[in-house]
Amino acid sequence: MQYLAMIYGDATRWESLSAEEREDVYKTYYAFSEEAQKAGVIVGGEELDSTATATTLRVRDNETLVTDGPYTELKEALGGYFVFECPTIDEACDWAAKIPGATHGAIEVRPISVKGGAS
Amino acid sequence: MKYAALLTNLAEDVETWEKMSAEEAQAVRAEEVPKWEALFGELGSIGALAFGVELDNPSTAKTVRARDGQTIVTDGPFAETKEQIGGVLVLQCEDLDQAILIAARVPVVHRASVELRPLVER
Repeated sequence: MQYLAMIYGDATRWESLSAEEREDVYKTYYAFSEEAQKAGVIVGGEELDSTATATTLRVRDNETLVTDGPYTELKEALGGYFVFECPTIDEACDWAAKIPGATHGAIEVRPISVKGGAS
Repeated sequence: MKYAALLTNLAEDVETWEKMSAEEAQAVRAEEVPKWEALFGELGSIGALAFGVELDNPSTAKTVRARDGQTIVTDGPFAETKEQIGGVLVLQCEDLDQAILIAARVPVVHRASVELRPLVER
C-alpha cells in the first residue's frame, strides 16, 4: 500500500534560516531519506517551492481564472511530500514522525488510491 | 522545469460522494473518466507527466506531529479547508504557461482548483 506524506510547515521559519542553516536542514532530510530508502519505504518525494511562487487555476462558466498564490492561505503551508510504501497506515505514520519537519510542523498521511505517471 | 499540480476537491463534494452508494459514485466518476483518460493519454505522448497519484478521501487521513520526543497522531487531514487536496501530478513543462494550459484541462478545475508550484531541484 502506498501513502502520500504531505509536509506542512511555517514558511517564515524556513525563510528566516541562513544558507548554512538550510544546508543543515537538508542534511537531516538526506539522513532520513537514506534510512527510509534502506528500509525500502520511500518510493518518491519532492520539495515544493514557496507558496509565493504558486499559481492557482479555476475554470468557471468556461472562463479560466488564474490567480497568484496557493489555493488556500494557511499559516503552515505544504512544502513537500514523500511517497511511502508500507503495509499499514500506522507504519506510514511511524515513518512520517521521523521526517525532520514533523518536529515543528505536521505531516498529513493519506492513502493513495490510484497511482500513475512515469516514475 | 517541473511543476507540482495540486488537484483539489470541494469538501462539500467529498461529503456528497461519501454518502453515495458505490454504484452512484461510479456513475458520477464515469462522466469524467473519458476526460481524464484523454488528458493522461496526451500528457503521456508528449512526456509531460512525471508522477501522478489520486488520494483517498481526507477523512482517511492521519496527521502526525513529533514534539519533545513524542509522536502525536490525530485522525483527519491537517487543515479542514473548503478545498482539499485529492491528487497530485508532477508536470514536466517548458514553462509556467504550458503548465497552466495543462492545469486548465484537469477536470477538477471546473469544480474546485489546481495549484501549480515549481519543484525545487537540487
